[in-house]
Amino acid sequence: MDKKSPEFQERHRGNALGFWIFGFFLRIFGLRGAYGFLHFVCLYYLLFDRPAVAGADAYIQRRFPGGGFIRSRWRVYRLFISQGKQLIDRYAAIAGLVQFNIKAEGEEQLAELLRNRKEGLILLTAHIGNWQVALTTLRNLNRTVHLVMRPEDNEAVARALSLSRESDFIRIISPEADLDGVFQIMNALKQGDVVSIMGDRKYDFDAIDVSFLGAMAYFPYGAFVIAAAVGCPVVVLLPAKLSHKKYLIDVHNVLQPCYSGAAGKKESLRPYVQEFSNILSNYVEHYPYQCFLFHDVWRN
Amino acid sequence: MDEHNEQELAEIRKVLKELLVTNLNLEDIEPEQIKDDEILFGQGLGLDSLDAVEIVVLLQRNFGLEVKDMKEGKKIFYSLDTLARYVLENRKQ
Repeated sequence: MDKKSPEFQERHRGNALGFWIFGFFLRIFGLRGAYGFLHFVCLYYLLFDRPAVAGADAYIQRRFPGGGFIRSRWRVYRLFISQGKQLIDRYAAIAGLVQFNIKAEGEEQLAELLRNRKEGLILLTAHIGNWQVALTTLRNLNRTVHLVMRPEDNEAVARALSLSRESDFIRIISPEADLDGVFQIMNALKQGDVVSIMGDRKYDFDAIDVSFLGAMAYFPYGAFVIAAAVGCPVVVLLPAKLSHKKYLIDVHNVLQPCYSGAAGKKESLRPYVQEFSNILSNYVEHYPYQCFLFHDVWRN
Repeated sequence: MDEHNEQELAEIRKVLKELLVTNLNLEDIEPEQIKDDEILFGQGLGLDSLDAVEIVVLLQRNFGLEVKDMKEGKKIFYSLDTLARYVLENRKQ
């Protein structure tokens, strides 16, 4: 990976000392103390981390068009703080320092979907809210959840935020494993498990351009190809932080992708990708500072 | 391999070529243009991991075969010939 690429810099942000300091603030002053310290750290990123600001600004310009330079930077700053708070929450939850109140909407419907079918389902999410904390609520489903995600190569982040650790019900599938990854996903679905896929960044995969926040954006459609091939539903996972210690996990949106005869396969999946984009648009309408795309999805 | 098996293998290759062209939307390729030992992914036919999804389902629907072993899967999916031999050997069991 090119060391100057935004992706490389994003994946190498954060170090052990930083996490130790936040852990210290959290233990001594509680959540609010750690949030307070966050304001200074985010100011540093706003002033000196150009790739991070550019990544966030792509979203801010679409979500709040015509805001002017100062207002845009203020919004980028707010977005950084919002993400920082959710990272602190995740750290606090993993360390067992804070008990969060997590309310799930559509959980019963999700359980029902799994009860009534032999195959599993795809849980489609995005870089929004605290999706890692959201996944912990899926323990109640009594199914193994397979996360399709790149292994965390920043050791400090992996250690502090447990991104790459497998728990008793979470398994990691690397998309970089190529064909192995495909077989793992297919087998997981066949044995009735849940496969969680990020649907907002295309990385090196094929994408479909759909309307998102007033312009055409590129979203990967691999999750929909798999769902159409296996015949399983796609449930959209939308996590949101409502207040200091309260989260809402919304899993009530269910899509059932299938190929239509007339259009080509890629084209016949476009409406489902558009629907996913509409769901995301609706989410950022309600929670504008919980969208952590940090990636210009409008540029191919 | 005896003559009967060779004939059967040739038949499976032919069916697979047709299924690949139809199911993977391979544009501008006729089934008979695909070589018997054509490499499927990367070079050769240039398929990608999403096409592998279709092939997994295609094997299941048309031949009742499930690829469970991931290490095996890579060898099976290497070329049209390895895929056809897998079908021949496992369909009979």
